[in-house]
Amino acid sequence: MVLSSVRPIATNGFKNLTRTFTSCRSLNAAQNPYLVFDRQAKRRQRDRAAIVNNGSRSTMVDYVRDEVADRLMERFIDIKRTFNTIVDLGSGPGHFSKLLTLDKVKNSVMVDHSAATLHRDPDSKFAVAVERIHADEERLLQVFDRNSQEAIVSCLSLHWVNDLPGILVQIQEALKSDGLFLGAMFGGDTLFELRTSLQLAEVEREGGISPHVSPMTDVRDVSNLLGRAGFTLLTVDIDEVRVAYPSMWELMDDLKDMGESNAVMGRRTFVHRDTLAAASAIYKELHGNEDGSIPATFQVIYMIGWKPAPSQPKALERGTSKINLQDIL
Amino acid sequence: MNPATTKPTRPLKRLAFHSTTTCASEASAYGKCIVATYTDVKKDICKAEFVKFAQCLRRAMGRNW
Repeated sequence: MVLSSVRPIATNGFKNLTRTFTSCRSLNAAQNPYLVFDRQAKRRQRDRAAIVNNGSRSTMVDYVRDEVADRLMERFIDIKRTFNTIVDLGSGPGHFSKLLTLDKVKNSVMVDHSAATLHRDPDSKFAVAVERIHADEERLLQVFDRNSQEAIVSCLSLHWVNDLPGILVQIQEALKSDGLFLGAMFGGDTLFELRTSLQLAEVEREGGISPHVSPMTDVRDVSNLLGRAGFTLLTVDIDEVRVAYPSMWELMDDLKDMGESNAVMGRRTFVHRDTLAAASAIYKELHGNEDGSIPATFQVIYMIGWKPAPSQPKALERGTSKINLQDIL
Repeated sequence: MNPATTKPTRPLKRLAFHSTTTCASEASAYGKCIVATYTDVKKDICKAEFVKFAQCLRRAMGRNW
């Protein structure tokens, strides 16, 4: 559990003095292949992030989530249907629910694993009635009955869920027939600049790599996963949000304030300052913009799926067509 | 907001400041060395450049580690 590294340090007058660094290393999860993320650590990080300076730091770094919530809302508005109640799964302080309007939705039920994040913003910021449920979104079916929900929306929370196929199945089960699932999650290219810079720095300085940026889902896998979970009429598309920062340090500060620090199982919680300085230099030279700033890419996968219902349009049986395609083409 | 105008006091902030501002030229030399070899990076492949960068950082921070 505890990793300690001892290395010599040259101090004036005290040769061969050693200093011990102890860092807590999370449990290695070799026993369960679906255990990639340390959910408890993630909850603590997000709780902490939401209460720093009374939430002002957390509010300041809402820009990525607010932007993605806005783009998800465009997709939601395109769905010509009104809802009585929707579930905002992994809502955070309610980035998506804040954008809801009464002509489309009456109530929003926000579910989040981090109580401090969930209660960060007052009800007055919402146009619709909101209810907050503090629960682990990985155990969705313990919160909602099967076949009970009209729509479930998830805006940027699924990338910390351990069992992604499982959560999609739970969402499908919780939905009523012809229910809507609308989601946005970070995709595999997210923060690739930070990932590569840290990897290069670790290889060059220490001779090995360790996980600092989470493994994330590829776009190609998402439609397979949705199909496997039993959704129909799938729509999957990708989009990128690129943000420029003065340097890697500001990016890492903001990620921490977003509650998006590393929570991979078996991560190193201690990074040597030489490695960090090296990563910062590499980030700037390898990916830096011409004006001296550095870019950070957030790749977002948007997905729409419906629970099957007899009323939905279906493909006709093979061979029932009356027009020969050869006549047209 | 501007790192050049306010001098930070916390250790990590100071490291951030010195690695991007005070030692910018050494950082850039190290980064360029990595970029030149990044398809085949091995341990200590840019050691000479990094030593200069690290010395500058230690001088700027006023301490060793």
